[in-house]
Amino acid sequence: MTQADTGFTETKVEEYYVQEEPFYIPHSDEIELFTAAYNEQIPVLLKGPTGTGKTRFVEHMAWLLSTQSKGTVRKHGKAEGIPLVTVACHEDLTASDLVGRFLIDTDGTRWSDGPLTRAVKAGGICYLDEVVEARKDTTVIIHSLTDHRRTLTIDKLGQMIEAADGFLMVISYNPGYQSATKDLKHSTRQRFVALEFNFPPPDIEKDIIIHESGCDEETAVQLAKLGEKVRNLGDYGLSEGASTRVLIYAGRLIKEGVAARRAAQVAVTWGITDDPQLQRSIDEVVTSIFP
Amino acid sequence: MESYTEARESLGGRLRDNDLLAWAANGLEVSGKTVRSWEAAAEYFKASSEVQRQLPSGQFIRWGQIGAKLCADSPSLGVAFFKSSPEALQRLRPRYIEDWANLGRSLYRGTWKSSTLACRYYESTPDLLENLNFIEFTRFSEFLEALSLRSYDLASQSLTDGVVLFREMGSEREAFIAVARVLADKSWRDIRGYFDAAGESLGRVDAGQRGRLLTLIRKLVQLGQANAGEALAAGATALSSVPVDRQSRLLELSELLLAASPTATPELLRQMPTIMGRVSFNQFEEWYAEGLAASRENSDSGMSFFRLESARAQEILDTLASGVELSRIRDLLRTYCRALVGESIELSPTSSIVEKNIGWVEGDAPTTEGSTIYLPAVVDRFASKDANFSWYKVVATHQVGHIEFGSFNFEYTRPSTSFSDLRPHIALPVTSSTPQAIVDELPPDMRDAAVEKGIEGQWLTDMSRFFDAFPDRKLAHDVFTVVEDSRLDARLMHEYRGIVAAYLKTQGESLSERPEIQDLPMREAMLEFIVRVSLKQRSGLKVPREHEATARKIARILDSVATFTTTVEDSAEGSIRIYALLTEVPNQEIPEDEFEDIDLDDQDEQEEEPDEDAQKFLQSLQGDGDGDGEAADQVPDDDSEEQEQIPNDEDYESPEDVSYRGDFKPELAQLLSQMMQSSDMMDGEPGEPLTEEQIKEMLEQSTEVDGEPQEGGEGDQEAQIPDELIQNLLKEMAKRDPQDPQSNSGPFVHVEEDGGPLEATDERSFVYDEWDFRGAEYKPRWCLVHEKDMAEGDLSFVHDTLSDNASLVRDIHRQFERMAPETFRKIKRLEDGEDHDLDSVIEHFVDRRSGNQPTDKIYWRRNKVERDVAVAFLLDMSASTAEAIDETGKSDDDWGAPDDPVEYMVWLRSRRAEGLRRSYKRIVDIEKEGIVLLSNALNMLGDEFGIYGFSGYGRENVEFYVIKELGEPYSESVPRKIDRIAPLHATRMGPAIRHATMKLQNVEAKSKVLFMITDGRPQDRGYSREGVEKEYAVHDTKQALVEARRDGIHPFCLTVDKAGHDYMKTMMDDLSYEVLSDIKLLPTRLPELYQQLTT
Repeated sequence: MTQADTGFTETKVEEYYVQEEPFYIPHSDEIELFTAAYNEQIPVLLKGPTGTGKTRFVEHMAWLLSTQSKGTVRKHGKAEGIPLVTVACHEDLTASDLVGRFLIDTDGTRWSDGPLTRAVKAGGICYLDEVVEARKDTTVIIHSLTDHRRTLTIDKLGQMIEAADGFLMVISYNPGYQSATKDLKHSTRQRFVALEFNFPPPDIEKDIIIHESGCDEETAVQLAKLGEKVRNLGDYGLSEGASTRVLIYAGRLIKEGVAARRAAQVAVTWGITDDPQLQRSIDEVVTSIFP
Repeated sequence: MESYTEARESLGGRLRDNDLLAWAANGLEVSGKTVRSWEAAAEYFKASSEVQRQLPSGQFIRWGQIGAKLCADSPSLGVAFFKSSPEALQRLRPRYIEDWANLGRSLYRGTWKSSTLACRYYESTPDLLENLNFIEFTRFSEFLEALSLRSYDLASQSLTDGVVLFREMGSEREAFIAVARVLADKSWRDIRGYFDAAGESLGRVDAGQRGRLLTLIRKLVQLGQANAGEALAAGATALSSVPVDRQSRLLELSELLLAASPTATPELLRQMPTIMGRVSFNQFEEWYAEGLAASRENSDSGMSFFRLESARAQEILDTLASGVELSRIRDLLRTYCRALVGESIELSPTSSIVEKNIGWVEGDAPTTEGSTIYLPAVVDRFASKDANFSWYKVVATHQVGHIEFGSFNFEYTRPSTSFSDLRPHIALPVTSSTPQAIVDELPPDMRDAAVEKGIEGQWLTDMSRFFDAFPDRKLAHDVFTVVEDSRLDARLMHEYRGIVAAYLKTQGESLSERPEIQDLPMREAMLEFIVRVSLKQRSGLKVPREHEATARKIARILDSVATFTTTVEDSAEGSIRIYALLTEVPNQEIPEDEFEDIDLDDQDEQEEEPDEDAQKFLQSLQGDGDGDGEAADQVPDDDSEEQEQIPNDEDYESPEDVSYRGDFKPELAQLLSQMMQSSDMMDGEPGEPLTEEQIKEMLEQSTEVDGEPQEGGEGDQEAQIPDELIQNLLKEMAKRDPQDPQSNSGPFVHVEEDGGPLEATDERSFVYDEWDFRGAEYKPRWCLVHEKDMAEGDLSFVHDTLSDNASLVRDIHRQFERMAPETFRKIKRLEDGEDHDLDSVIEHFVDRRSGNQPTDKIYWRRNKVERDVAVAFLLDMSASTAEAIDETGKSDDDWGAPDDPVEYMVWLRSRRAEGLRRSYKRIVDIEKEGIVLLSNALNMLGDEFGIYGFSGYGRENVEFYVIKELGEPYSESVPRKIDRIAPLHATRMGPAIRHATMKLQNVEAKSKVLFMITDGRPQDRGYSREGVEKEYAVHDTKQALVEARRDGIHPFCLTVDKAGHDYMKTMMDDLSYEVLSDIKLLPTRLPELYQQLTT
């Protein structure tokens, strides 16, 4: 890791360690399960709607497992632990984006490892966020890494890389909004143990909101209540309930002095739906909750 | 002869001799005509003396001659004529005598009926003339004559009615007769209704405006736009709905509208009362102006505007009106309520639960039965819309509170949070569900009584069990209602801080509606006191000095319940205590001067622990062991020594409902809502259905349902609950039983199509729900779609089409070729991609070596959008597609059709049988051509596609023809099947779309398109009638398309109906339909659209 004078931090993907403890309140036994899976090298699938803390959980686990396994050991003055390589998947993400590609050099071509290859070599956690968004050819690579083989084949180099011990594949997906064609194939999903994520109950969510946004408890209680009420609409036209994230945003806006109703409107109401009818209904809920 | 002598005598002095002679001769002539003429002669002589006094002698003789002439035609006519003459002539100028006679004469056509009519005519003349001038009289006579051509009975009836009606009328008589005259020609059957309506309605209209209204109606009738009687009644109602000084203005506006759109005018009159119920007259004028403009543009849209069917009419009215209608905000509020509760809450106008007749009777009080919130249909309490809406919101929130905070989850044995529970100590019948611990706890004597009672007592709900504990159920219910409502208010205001302001305002408003405490008898006054405290009145409460301590105690109890942590059980405990305190208060009138203002907050007296009186409370509940469940006022029985003997008690009456809290029926609601939950909630044997008797018993004990009026009822006189109500309740409960498969069928049963859900009959039939937009819910398993294979025809149609359009075919092929290869092509020259593109890399190095700036675009990537399309074509095969299109410039679709009906039928049949051998094209032919051209090209493109046709009649017969299944290869049989596409029946689009959606769902493709080709709006039996039905079809179709979209299918509709914009806009998104200006463009346009849609 290099801390430049420019004010930003530049890190190679495989050298990114979560050093500060990410705030995370467990819903149930997911920490124990993940730890066990990690120790047994069983890939993990995180399911759940957006904004329920999947990414935060992975970060938390990367940190937790680092501190547990390696403690505070530092090599060459650098932090050491389990690197976390996160790849946000998108429609155009191809296998070569994960594995690597040849780049043109002055005298020819030079191979450049993709993030997945780096994670495999470094023995880190590779977290493929929203994996179903990626192209189908990516799953082929995932397969060999997620069964007993734990190998990554790089056709273009004619190489086969065995994953370092610490390597673990973690993928996430949201069963809610993706269409049927974007569903995860059974051959893929049955290589993972699945952890379900859902919105936390109001009192836990309240604590999260307080912690993350720094707003006062009263506001946090109301925001959590708003979240709960809006999620009640899940069956009636809302494809996705208000995530904890948007509630936190609202809390931050309120802390900055934005009027509560307005903050809830821009962060929650308008954020989660474009349907004017639904927006009005949610607005009524907002005005009922916030004075 | 006698009369002659008499007449002779009286005339003798007054007539000259020759006149007398002429008179006598005339008499002879009269009598000589026929056998029965002597009667006429007698009348003649009888009348003569009278008549002679009124007429100069010349005319007197003339009168006689006219009469004689009548007698010649029919003696009875003569009789009538002579008989009525003396009176008639008092009002008739002599010169009109002949006209009069002739008018009567013209009614006579030699038949018995006509002669009766004519006679009655003469007889009625004096009465008629009393109110009519001769011109009016003549007109009326003409009318009678015209009408008599149709029906003598009716004419004679009209004559009688006329006599009566004209008495009431003023100058509008002429206009009235004019309408009648028109009716006699145009639609004589309506005359009866018209006369009736006139009798009933005209009185309501300002006298000055009646003539004008009638003239308006005459014009309507002349234009054939209205049934006179209905229009008159509607008009009168319309006029009486506006202020008297605006009646003339309304008529002016109606006349103006008549000029623009005759069809709209009756609608305007009909809707006037509704409109005036919502806006002021000035606002109405604004609305009207819009409507008039619409009518001038298009008569049809004007009509739907004034019928209040067009969205625009509603919208403007809505903007103008301050009142808020539930129907407009129903979706909004329902979503709001669902958000709060998190359950599937429904929202309906209160009238709908009253209609169910299951115990609720107040038509506009908000209420709930645990799963649906009922609100008044309109709120117009305040001057502004916002205020009215805010009221709605508070009301809805309060009702939601019942559900969210568990009013109906009351459990008798669950402890309360802030009281030491008295319930276990109440001497109560022991049931199977009574925990043994409670039984054991009871003092031995109470236990025996309880067990004994338990044999007879079984409660359907915990709520009933609770109320059973009180000797005076009615009082208990009233107390519980206030306490529970008060608890909810506190809880809601704590949970929902944002609504507090509106809530307090509503409470304040309710407070101002309350009756004065001091006007009520004492016990009622105390209850009113509680209501007021619950509405947050803290000071200025009127209480007599002697009851001040009690009042303060009650207020303290209420305060301890009304916090945000309490539960319904706390309300129950609080109610027991308040009830006990109230029983000490006699229901007597107390002089007003004994009342004093008390302020609940001023005096910080030593907090008394309310439970110190626990024994006393309990005692007041015990006592009358036999009288339990009596609905009537508390009547102290002999064995209730503990109870004060109160002399001169007034009958206790419940306090008025607080308007925003509405009607609270905890027993019924609990009964209904526990049906929805698992049956182990019930006190009875789980799984054992409730019997009619059980319910009847419960209802009879409950004070929530008023049976037969029971005012002043004695204790032993139990309310009679109508059996029908019990039946309805049982039905309602059956609906809620989760095990009942029909539990989803809502209260909105489609009027035109009765019957329940359908079942698939064979493996190729499918049932689908249908969307009812009025109830905003699905009617489950409502439509039955039968899938059928299209029969095969011959290939000539397809060949002809292809060869006729050879150049178009080439064009389409070229277009599609350009689409196709992209599928497989790599995209080169990218800055980033899957791999290096060798050519580019070589170029790159060449450039670099030669010192040029090399390009970085050296990667390739597979085309991002892989072509992966599935399309289902859905062809409208309704009967209307048989319409010919005008290719030759002749506009008639039936040109060449024989005039003779029989020949026409033969021709029609042959035309249909003829199929495609026709000299002109029908809409369906163009549809087919388009499909032929497109499928030919698609085959080359390799896209997955299916071709389906649909038609049908009625919801149980939706026909779905498979021409080409998705995934089926394009074999020769496909064009053969296309050949057989032909117009069939109606257009029920919804189920067809749902079925096609289902087909598309079973196909894997990245983009799926549902391509509909239609010629008009959806319609079918029970799907598309006039009025709201039209909307019904459109909304169901829209919903089906929404479902398709939800499944990731992109629907598109191509219509050849030029008037398609209005409903297409409702049904589809703006971009997903196209109205073809010229149907002949279809074959060209179809491939273009296809290309746009799928790339």
